[in-house]
Amino acid sequence: MNKDSIQDQVISTLKDFITDWGLDADITPSTTLVEYLEFDSIDVIQFTVELEKTFGNRKLGFQELLMKDGRYVDDLSVSEFAVFLIGKLATA
Amino acid sequence: MTKTLLIGLDGATFTVLQPMLDGTCDEGVVMPFLADMIKGGYSATLRSTNHPLTPPAWTSVCTGRTPGHHGIYDFVRFEDMGDEMFFTLYDARDIRTETLWHVAGREDKTVVSLNFPMMAPPEKVNGSLVPGFVSWKHLRRNTYPDTLFDRIAAIEGFDPKELSWDFERESQIGEAMPDDELYSWVANHLPRDKQWYNIGHALLSEDNPDLFALMLDGTDKIQHQAWHVLDPEIWDTDVPESRRKVRALVVEYFRQVDGYLAGLHAAAGDDCHMVIVSDHGFTGSDKVVRVNKYLESLGYLKYRSHDGSDAAKRRDMANFANLDWETSRAFCPTPSSNGIVIRKQSTKNPNGVAEDEYEWFRDKLIADLLAMTDPDTGEKVITQVLKREDAFPGEAMENAPDLTLILCDHGFVSVRNLEPQVVTRPTPIGTHHPDGIFIMSGPGVAAKRGDEMSIVDTTAIVSHAMGMDIPEEFEGSVPGDLYTAEWLKDHPVQVAGHTDAQAAPKASSNDEEEISDDQREEMLAQLRLLGYLED
Repeated sequence: MNKDSIQDQVISTLKDFITDWGLDADITPSTTLVEYLEFDSIDVIQFTVELEKTFGNRKLGFQELLMKDGRYVDDLSVSEFAVFLIGKLATA
Repeated sequence: MTKTLLIGLDGATFTVLQPMLDGTCDEGVVMPFLADMIKGGYSATLRSTNHPLTPPAWTSVCTGRTPGHHGIYDFVRFEDMGDEMFFTLYDARDIRTETLWHVAGREDKTVVSLNFPMMAPPEKVNGSLVPGFVSWKHLRRNTYPDTLFDRIAAIEGFDPKELSWDFERESQIGEAMPDDELYSWVANHLPRDKQWYNIGHALLSEDNPDLFALMLDGTDKIQHQAWHVLDPEIWDTDVPESRRKVRALVVEYFRQVDGYLAGLHAAAGDDCHMVIVSDHGFTGSDKVVRVNKYLESLGYLKYRSHDGSDAAKRRDMANFANLDWETSRAFCPTPSSNGIVIRKQSTKNPNGVAEDEYEWFRDKLIADLLAMTDPDTGEKVITQVLKREDAFPGEAMENAPDLTLILCDHGFVSVRNLEPQVVTRPTPIGTHHPDGIFIMSGPGVAAKRGDEMSIVDTTAIVSHAMGMDIPEEFEGSVPGDLYTAEWLKDHPVQVAGHTDAQAAPKASSNDEEEISDDQREEMLAQLRLLGYLED
């Protein structure tokens, strides 16, 4: 899997995830979950579960991405998810 | 045609319904369909689970088992990690016994199950299942089969936001509201039950399932917040117009519910058996009992110290015990539990209660709890303390609180770090009472008022009405006078066969003994959503 295909899959998973939300959102690598898509914390967690299903149905340690210095990060973009996954899948 | 309808009205009580049925309230007969159903059918008080709370009680209806067997005790469960307490939500994967939907499916009966709590994530059923208490954003992923969401989305007027669980709105229950705010809050609940009715009517009409089950929970939410306009003992028309407006809206809600019941009955046909139950009843509560504050004064626990920051203050105010876990030995985890947990000594919790100390410790704790009084009146505020083995006997007992409290006015306790320990509210709020309702109509049903029944009788009755044998593990029974002798002769009650423990939702879930870091983070996220935890 190369970087572009991973990012494409993150975008595709995200589009499916928000299908019923009534958002007219254009999803790009710079799209942010909280600010742009109005995710709350449970939505972020559920999204990581969907990504784990997309990328081989395994735990991928998303808490390393979601938490910094013991606190939840304020927001994450599609590209940040993609970069994280690229790193994780490369070492898998 | 559908043989059996099981309709849940969360928290419904004859206390509120009776004047609306017999027309003795100012508004006259508000619920004519239900009044006729009772007149021509069987009704009785339905005794809830030993702690009358929605998750254990509806799970008892859905499984025919008491909480000590099915394993659900509260909305929230926790894992004692010694120096930290991780709170998470009960869900379907915690149910240890086979559900009625699954039992029916094994008998080739088709089922539609809508809005029952603790049914997410959904199990595979022979029909359709939409769980209750699911946020609208995650409804599609939590319906079964996976084609069902698109099907119900095509129903005219469907709006998933109106339909599903709004955590933020429901967390306001218990907060004092001025009349105009209360009016808006109540108004937001009417479309919800209408959405569930629309879905139910569509699936009932199109699929003709052998068993159609739908739970409406507006009754519970509205009675919690608007008890003072509903309780016949309290309601007085000599109030401001704003208060009368609230009453009018609340009565309109019950009128709409009556219409839903009539609509569903018409869709099923006159030859159906219709069973209407509530998970518990309702009454008024005017005492705030801060039980953890009382336990602190006796040295059983210590609150977590905080730095005075806004975040720390908000955590203190959450409906969720926020304690010094290294020193606390007995505590109430959540208001909804009315439970006291005794922390056992372990390698993770060396300060816990040792095994040979447990009985003595528990007896002293019981005596201390029963001694708690309202300092203004001298009245005892805790009238009964149930031991776990008495309240929740069964193989799932170990997850129940060690003690369960019954307050003088059936209220829920407070876990907040506030003084004084006991406060009297100027206006009562609605709280749960053990006495719910059972109403049934249909072929062969006797027209009478029966003796008090148990909530688990519901499942046995529905099974029999569907033409099934009642599995031996079902703890309830069919009252001897529910049907006419003539009808029973041709439709005898048979107790035979067994439930399948391996078909329980918990049996198929991936249960690890230790919580992984991922699970812990997921729990924290869920609890942040509920306002239980701060960043």
